[in-house]
This record gives sequence, structure tokens and C-alpha cells, in this order.
Amino acid sequence: MRDLLRHPTGLAGAVLLALIAVMTILGPLIAPYDPQQFHPLSRLQGPSAAYWLGTDQFGRDIFSRILNGARSTILFGLGATMAGVAAGGAIGLIAGAIGGAVDSLIMRLLDGLLAVPDLLFTLLIVTVLGGGSGHAMLAVAIAFMPGLARIARSTVLSVRTREFVLAAQARGESPAYVIACEIMPNTIAPIIVEATIRVSFAIMLGATLGFLGLGAQPPSTEWGLMIAEARQYMFRNPICVAAPGVAIALAALGFNLLGDALRDLTDPRGRR
Amino acid sequence: MQNTAIAAARPDARPALEARSYSLAYETPGGLVQALKSIDISIPRGKTLGLVGESGSGKTSLAWAIMRYLPRNARELGGDLLLGGESLRATSKSQIADIRGARIGMVFQDPSTSLNPTLTLGEQLAETLIRHRKMSKAQAFGEGEALLARTGITRPAAMMKRYPHEASGGEKQRVVIATAFACDPECILFDEPTTALDTITSRQILDIFQRLQEDTGVAALYISHDLALVSRIAHDVAVIHRGEIVERGATATLFRNPQHDYTRALIAAAPRPDIRLSGPAPDIAAPTVLATQDLTVRYGGRSLLQKLMGRGEAAIEGARKIDIDVREGEILGIVGESGSGKSTIARAIAGIADFNGTISFDDHVVRERGAIGRSYRRAAQIIFQNPDASLNPRQRVGEIIARPLKLYGLAKGSGIEARVAELLAQVRLPADFAGRYPHQLSGGEKQRVAIARAFAARPKLVICDEITSSLDVSVQAAVARLLVGLQAESKASCLFITHDLNLVRQLAHRIAVVYRGDLVDLFEAADFDAQKRHPYTRALLEAMPPPIHP
Amino acid sequence: MSAAYLLRRLAAILIVLLIVSLTVFSITQILPGNAAVMILGEYATPAQLQALELKLGLDQPWYVQYWRWFSGMLSGDWGVSMRLSQPVAALIGEAFWRSAALALASLATVTLIAIPLGILAALKRGTIVDLVIGLFAYIGTAVPEFVTATLLLVFLAGPDRGFLPAGGFAPLSEGVGAALSHVVLPAATLSLILTAHIARQVRSEMSDVLSSDYIRAARLKGLSERSVVLRHALRNAMAPAVAVISLDIGYLLGGILVVEEVFAWPGLGRLIIYALQNRDLPVIQAATLVLAFAYALSNLVSDIVIAWLDPRVRYA
Repeated sequence: MRDLLRHPTGLAGAVLLALIAVMTILGPLIAPYDPQQFHPLSRLQGPSAAYWLGTDQFGRDIFSRILNGARSTILFGLGATMAGVAAGGAIGLIAGAIGGAVDSLIMRLLDGLLAVPDLLFTLLIVTVLGGGSGHAMLAVAIAFMPGLARIARSTVLSVRTREFVLAAQARGESPAYVIACEIMPNTIAPIIVEATIRVSFAIMLGATLGFLGLGAQPPSTEWGLMIAEARQYMFRNPICVAAPGVAIALAALGFNLLGDALRDLTDPRGRR
Repeated sequence: MQNTAIAAARPDARPALEARSYSLAYETPGGLVQALKSIDISIPRGKTLGLVGESGSGKTSLAWAIMRYLPRNARELGGDLLLGGESLRATSKSQIADIRGARIGMVFQDPSTSLNPTLTLGEQLAETLIRHRKMSKAQAFGEGEALLARTGITRPAAMMKRYPHEASGGEKQRVVIATAFACDPECILFDEPTTALDTITSRQILDIFQRLQEDTGVAALYISHDLALVSRIAHDVAVIHRGEIVERGATATLFRNPQHDYTRALIAAAPRPDIRLSGPAPDIAAPTVLATQDLTVRYGGRSLLQKLMGRGEAAIEGARKIDIDVREGEILGIVGESGSGKSTIARAIAGIADFNGTISFDDHVVRERGAIGRSYRRAAQIIFQNPDASLNPRQRVGEIIARPLKLYGLAKGSGIEARVAELLAQVRLPADFAGRYPHQLSGGEKQRVAIARAFAARPKLVICDEITSSLDVSVQAAVARLLVGLQAESKASCLFITHDLNLVRQLAHRIAVVYRGDLVDLFEAADFDAQKRHPYTRALLEAMPPPIHP
Repeated sequence: MSAAYLLRRLAAILIVLLIVSLTVFSITQILPGNAAVMILGEYATPAQLQALELKLGLDQPWYVQYWRWFSGMLSGDWGVSMRLSQPVAALIGEAFWRSAALALASLATVTLIAIPLGILAALKRGTIVDLVIGLFAYIGTAVPEFVTATLLLVFLAGPDRGFLPAGGFAPLSEGVGAALSHVVLPAATLSLILTAHIARQVRSEMSDVLSSDYIRAARLKGLSERSVVLRHALRNAMAPAVAVISLDIGYLLGGILVVEEVFAWPGLGRLIIYALQNRDLPVIQAATLVLAFAYALSNLVSDIVIAWLDPRVRYA
């Protein structure tokens, strides 16, 4: 942890994420206004002392809506990634540890799935499941699964040929012990790094789904949805779309920076 | 001033390369770390100075300083470096570019990383000639072929067209040497140029260097950790330890009569076949513990799916029809170069490689890997070359050593802790190491942990796969002694696999020689020099630098 | 590279298509409401429905239906759109080329900007130049396409400052100027995130190469900095850069969906979104397969380029 804060990229990421964590946890409590409350007399206003980030087409306070939306946007990213990591990690681990024909078959299958762009894959699944942020989260998790399985597998393969695993096999350890006690603990660091970077993709994908009307539904204050709703009025009050856009970018940036710093710190070669 | 004038009048009297009380330090977050302390060396034309030191001694820093290739955090604290009497520290950047490759050549440790994989060998040799001798491309390629021919490459024109991955290690290093000699330099720096090569290839490379040195009169700084090797090629030797030259002198005198304690320790650590580390060979009547019959190991066969996809490589035989046997309490040395199949044999016997043939071990007779059961595995323990890789970085030393005890039910409850402490004491490590992680230990300490883990199982056979070759010279000797001590105490048999002939002759009772997957020779250690030895064994012996005798 | 290798790679692409088609087919099978209901509408009589189901083969087991569809795809019979009542092949054919034009324009922009940027950052490592490029790369990869697109529209295509058209497509027949002005914003949107990502990867590859033993050896031969960078380093850094670009094409193809939707670019992406919204199964299935095919093919092309750049990679 101390190493992380000494790492410039890590420090920047940690600061951004701390800010976002505060918004996620306390957002609704510290928001100056009710995010759903209309202020008909002050519609599409620019930033002012009363409305720090201005107001939208119904006169709702944009700052309060952003604070409220943090929760759905961030939790979406974390939830989808965690589900994807759990499923993909398990598949990759099994494929890598078993090897042979099972492994080849699983990898062929994943290759096929990876040929469909993530966004299209997500959209297909959402169309089947129906919109809404729960379904969208599941869809993103499923779309992430093949890629994460690949990474987990290649990590397992690189660990599997290390000599301490051979030593365990020579001792006559059971396959379960070898996987659980020798291989698994050494695959966690690279998977955490990948997962952290993936959270930023998940946030962006979730917001994209919200924007296309297939993720979070009104009256949610999810940031992608906010942009979609304000699009008609964007020329009159650009901050309606700019503010949630910047919020999405900052959240994605935070996870990206953190993931990169973790990669630097866990990579024995020490890239920097 | 006057001195310089005189020296200029008689240029040949000046040393080709000199360091005068040169000091260097690196700036680190923890402060300045001194890498070189007041170094004085002087190499006349036509002579070789061997610079001997262990890893971290500063020997390579000196090479970078001479090449003026220092990292940004380097701070030169004083002194000077002189090439033919001219200060290298005073030269400008563009002058240095004219000196590098032209007046000072350099040969690196590993030719497989020091050559650019995307350019042909010819292009990489010719570019030096084009740069410094202002040749045209055609001239440079012609001259390049001539240079390659001088390094003993039989078909230089074809070699010029090859990419590095299409040439062997020895061929690549010849290209690097040809490049270093290309512009007829005054001085060449060698940075462990044979470490990555096999014994016989190393010998050839050294012979080429010596011949070229006689022809050209170049001065050489030869950096190495290998005393025996340096004693063969260097005229003078300097021993460097923690950034300081602790002793220097003419090669013969220095090795015969070392003055400094560190030099003495280094010499004492170098393997000497005339001093046996192990006890007498077990009685002829001693029971046979391990015997292999027609042991064959194939690598890289294709799976069914790969065959369907038309991918994968055809199988290669790593070891062919090996018959060996080990008696109780005996150390059998297996010697060979990299890729000879010696580790393959070890892995088959340890039950981590598929094999054909028969292994009779203890009271087991197995014909396939799957038939190897737990009691076999308990009784046959393997120790690997690199302790960094063979210890799980996520487990504490205590857990690592305790694992065989738990797995085989050799100790229970508090008995485990006591036994771990006992094993740590046996490998001469303090008991509190049980709570440490491998990365907190030095290389030698880690290898001791691996040895403790192997002996924890109370094995009847210990398979040692190059267990000393990743360690520093002084640590190697201690680890080898420790192993022999434990082996004698426990009466276990041992398969000791190594490429180091001098070391194996100190340890083994009998020696097996493998060459390209075949067992070519098997004999009592004392019969090493006999004329009836296989030609390959003789070639290996011939190529080894002679052991050093103080 | 041998003909046998190419043949094998094409066979592998076929397997990928098989898997994609099975996936897409099973996904669309789960979709509620069958094709007959969609075509006839909610008020059709059971008898009419049954007749149409029989005609469409919906009473057959799924594998028969799958095979009929997949073999149709391979032989060029892609079915008829349920909403637009046009042959799917014609719809996709027209849209595909518009999308390809957009994708290629973006890819060219990305390649021309990102690679020099990454190399520059690696050469100036640790300086302000590196820092600025690094910042751009980090921020660029954090902005999703729909945000970039929206912001570009607001600031470059607003009604009072309409430098550029806010959307739509103009074929070359309407003049080069019109065609270009329509392609600028969508291509810029697609390029931003990819440029950022690829520049970062190229920087890291180039840094690795620059700190390699053979670059050190080249410097210690006294070669000029120019020769070290252009002759020794560049080629070694290019092969991994191409690999990164090839992976990012998958991302680009996803981005097309959003960008075409925002800028009303009548390409494959917009067609897919329309089909998804209207559950137009034949279009969804065929278009997904076409995208997967394009991606697999682009991977093959990049592998060939990598083999040409790196002599160690030789496919037999």
C-alpha cells in the first residue's frame, strides 16, 4: 500500500478512486438537492452558486444527480467485473490446470466468442434478457468472461511449468493440492491487476448501455442515461452532457491508473 | 606534462587501457552506493587482464565506465580512465561514438540477446565496418566474410545471410567476436563471453580469441567469475571484491601464492578434483537402489486435437535407451552439456516426465509414469537448479519444509515444528528462517531450504539437477559440501547432475556421460583420465579449464 | 509462409464462425416471440400462424433450423429481413462498405498518429514530452465513444457553430468535400480511444526494445542514434505494435455500433442496433457473423504482417 502511494500513477489513481468512493458511499447524503426534484423556473442553467453544475431540462440540479449516479455507475462496473472474473477465472483455471483436449476445446470455444466485439456481445445478451441495469450487468459479465478466462489460463500455464509446481508433482501431491495451494496463490496478483483495469471498461460499457437505453432506466441517475436524456438540449446547455461525461471518464481513469500501478508493482521486472 | 610528452614520443610503451584511482557510485533512494573504489588497472598491448569477481562486485560497472555507457544515476567520484594515454572521461559524446566499436570493441555475455533478432548477422557485422572504416556496403560484406573466416566459420558467405535465430550459440558469439575485432581496435572488453555457452564451445571461442590476439596485438580486459577460466587465458589477474581490487598480479604467481583472504577463499571454493568431498564408494556388495533399463523420454508429442489442426511439433527424443544403476549410499554423477538429456533423465526418474522403459527403484518396478506411487515418490526426492523457481514464493520456509512431513505422515502436531527446526539446523540455517518468505533469502540460503525439503522425506535417493550452477562460486562449494554431508549421514543414494566436470569429480563415485540423449560413457571417478574413455568424454575433459592449484 | 498455413488459418476462421454462429443462433432462439408472430403481428389467427411456421420450418428441431440457416449463410442465401422486407444480403452489403470506409479511415488515422506518438514518448522517456503523451493516453482510454461523440457534436457541430455536419452520410458521388466533412467527426471519435491505447502500448514495447541488450550492443558499436532507433529498434517494436492494433480492431468494430448510432451513419452498426431494437433475427444473425468474420480476417492479415516484420516468426 505504501509502495502504491509512492508510485506517481498509483497515487493519482488512489486519489481519484478515493474521491469516487466518497461519492459512491455518501453521494445521496451530501447532495445539495433531491436529484429528482424539478425546479421549473431554473431550467437549463449554467453553473451558479445555487446550482454548482447548472440544471437540466427539467431544472434538476446536475451536481446532485451526478453525486447520486455515482453509486449505480460504479457498482455496475465493480459488480460486472467481479462476476466476470469469478466465472472467467474459474474456467481459465480449470482449462489451464487440466490441459490436454479439454483445454484445447475450451480455448477454441473462447476464441470463437472473442471474435464478437464486447459491445455487440453485450447488446445481444441484453436483447435476450431485456433491458435494465441488473440484466446489463450480467451481460457485461458474460461478455468479459472469455477474455478473462484466457488471461487466467495463460497465467496458470506460466505458473504450471515453474519448478515449485514440478516439485509438488514429484512429491506426489494430489492435483487438488497442486491447483489450490501451489498454482492458485501465484495467479491472484496478475488477475487482480487485469480485473482492476477491466472495471474501467465495465464502467464505460455500462454507461454506453445506459446511453443506448438498454441499461439503467429512468428515473435512474446513471451517468450514461443522463447524457442520453440531455442530448436534445446539449446545444443549449452543454454542461448537461459534459458533466456526466467527465464523471465517467474520471471514474474509468481512476481504475485504469490504479491497475497500471498495480501491474508495475507486481511485475518482478519492474517496468519503470 | 613532461611524462605525457615522453609517452607520446614512444606510443608503444603506453598501456593500451588504464584506470587510475577511478571511483564510481550510484545514486539510489537510500543514498550514494559506491560501486568502484579507487580502481587502478593497466593493460599493455597484446596482453589480457582477467578481472575476477562475484556478482555485485562491480566488475561490470568498470566495463560500462570504460565504454562511457553509464546509467543516469551514476556519479564518477574521481580518477581517470585512459585509452592509449587519452582520457576517456574528457572525450565528448561524438568522440566517444567514434571510439566505440572502432578503438574499443566489446563482447557480451549472451550472444542470443546481444544480437538484433530482426537483422541478419551479416548486416550487423557490416554496419560497424561501414560506420568506422567508411566502407561501401559491398566492401563491408566482403570484409565481413573475411573476418568471419578468421573466427573459424567454415561458410562465412552463408552465415552472413542468416538471422541470429538460425545460428548456434557458438556461431553467434563468433560473429560478435568478429565484430569486436572488425576495426582493429586497441582494446577489447569481454564480459563473461562464455557463460552462456557449452564447455566445448567455450573452449573453441577462447582459442579463437587467443589466436586473434596474437595476430593483432590487441589488449583485452576479460571479466569473469570463473577463476579456472581466467587462469587459462589471462596474463595478469585482478581480483575485485565489493568495488575494490583486493589483489593483482601475474596469473601464475597470484594463483600459486594468493595474499588476500578473499582471493584465498575464492580459490578454495573452486572445485578441485584432487580433493574429494565425499567418502569412499560403497561396497560392491551394497544393494542396488535404482536401475533403469532402456529409459527413453520423448518430448513435445502432439495431442489428438493438435494433429487434427495440423499444429504442434513431432516428438523429439530427449533421452534414448538409458541404462544406469545406483547402489545404496553411492553418488552417481551425470555429466553433459545443455540439451544433452541429463535433466530429462532426472525428471523421468523423479516421476515428472513420461517415459518408456523400466525403472526399478527400491522395491518398485515401474514401466510408466502413472504407475509411480506415493512410497516411490517419498523415497526419491528431486532438487532443482534454480531455488528462485523451485520454492513457492507464497509459502513461508517453514511451510515449505513441513509439507513433505505432513504429506507422508512423517511427523504430527508439535513434532512437525521440531522436525522443521532440526532440518533447518542440518542445513545450517537459523531456526527463525521458518517464518520467512523465499524472497527474503539469498540464493544459497534458498538452495539450502530446497535441500532441507528433500531430506525431510528421509529419501533413499536424492536427485540433484544442477543444484549449484545458479549460485556464486563461494556459495557453490558450501552447498556441495552440505549436500555430501547430509547424504553420507542419511546413507541416501544420489544422482548428481551437472555440467561441471571438476565438481563432479570431487563428489561422484561413478560418472555417467550423456551426449545428445545417449549415455556414451560410464566409469569409476578415479578412471577419469584413462585412455579408454569415450572420445566425447575426452573432448569434454580437454575443453575444461584446468583446475587451479594454489 | 506456406499455402498450407494459409489454408489452415482459413479453416480456423471457419471454426470461429461456426462457434459464433452457434452462439448467435442459440441466443436468438431464446428470444421471446417467434418469427411467425413478428411477421403476422399480434392479431393473426392460430391457423395462419401454424401455416407460416410450417413454411418457415419453425416446427423443425433446432439443429435442422440451425443447419438450414448456417448453410444458407455459407452459400449466400442470407434470408429476408422481417422488418424491412428486403434481402438481408443486400441490406448488409450496402451497409458493410459504409462501415468499412469509416473503420479504415479511423484505422489509418490511428496508425499514423499513435505509432509515432508512442515511439516519441519512448525516446523521450522521463521528459515532459513523455508525460504529456502519457497523460493524453490515460485520459483518452477513459472516455467512451458516446461521450467523445456527444462532446464533439456540442463543440464542433452545434447549430450556431456548424463547422461540420452533425451526422449522416454523403457518398463520394456528392463530392469529396461533402464525403470528407461527414466522415471527420465519426472517424475522430473512433480514433481517439484507440490512438490513446495504441500509443501507450507502442511506448511500452519501444521502451522494452530500447533497453534490450542488442540496442546496447548497437550503441556500443558506435552507431549513430538515428541508426540505432531506425535500423535496430523500430522493426523490433513494430511487430508487437501490429499485434496490439489487430486486437484493437475488435474494439473498433464494437465502437462502430455506438458511433454510427450517434452520427446517424447508415452502416452495419446502425443496422445492427435497429435490428436489435426490432428483433429482426435474420439481420442480427447475419450481421454478427459478418463482423466476426471481418475481425478474424483482420487478425490473419496482421499475423501475416507480423511474420513479414519479424524473421523469427515463420509460419509453416
